[in-house]
Amino acid sequence: MIQRRNFLKGLGIVVATAIAGTPALLNAAEEKAKAPKGPNEFSYDMAIAAITSGKAIETSDKIDLVVPEIAENGAVVPVKVTVNHPMEESNYIKAIHILAKENNNVRCADVMLTPMSGKAYFATRIKLGKTQDVVALVETSTGNFIMTAKSVKVTIGGCG
Amino acid sequence: MAEKKSMIKFKPKNYKAGDVIDVDFIIIHPMDTGMAKDKKTGKIIPANYINNVTFKLDDKPFTTMKVWETVSANPYFSVSLKVPASGTISVEYTESTGEKGEKSKKLTPKG
Repeated sequence: MIQRRNFLKGLGIVVATAIAGTPALLNAAEEKAKAPKGPNEFSYDMAIAAITSGKAIETSDKIDLVVPEIAENGAVVPVKVTVNHPMEESNYIKAIHILAKENNNVRCADVMLTPMSGKAYFATRIKLGKTQDVVALVETSTGNFIMTAKSVKVTIGGCG
Repeated sequence: MAEKKSMIKFKPKNYKAGDVIDVDFIIIHPMDTGMAKDKKTGKIIPANYINNVTFKLDDKPFTTMKVWETVSANPYFSVSLKVPASGTISVEYTESTGEKGEKSKKLTPKG
């Protein structure tokens, strides 16, 4: 027979776990929904590793990365990359990758160039969730990686 | 869905064969990330963004790019091109939903 004392104790435990449990579950579900999906939406380190497959990256001033110092609207941040490098058949810029370090998905654009381009240049507009570094990672046809980063201050975030 | 409104621009407007010009591609597209909620209904807007863009010169790709939802709405992509004596530029894009589109413009070098 259930005693009143035990029954109340049991009820207390059930209620306590229900109260503690629900928000935790909700939070987990919410985090899961917000977490990046897909194979390419990694953290910054993993994205870099996926692009370079572990090769060393040099910081170089050959890349001219133009971003605003302060972006009033994070939803539209102009980015312009020019690489001071010849575009010849044997030696050209193969790819320009644009990454935003703190975004949910750090990868913005991977641009594959050919010598037909005549100049290693790419420009677009990206979204930034908060103040962070924008990175331009450049791959040459000889397999070297060079990069440059610039900080952008965002007043109003532009994601979501 | 109907074809998205898009345009190709050459900068500068007057160019000769052999010049290096900018080819701009602008498209009216929402670039939904799949994370934002519709303010009226409270439902999540499904992701729909452009994930592949190919710039071609007479069917020969000269710049291909992979992009993600981190690119702004109504995206603008600018690349360079060494102008040949003649040719047609075409830009093809693919959306994450599988929709495809294309836009082309003839090169008119002067002199």
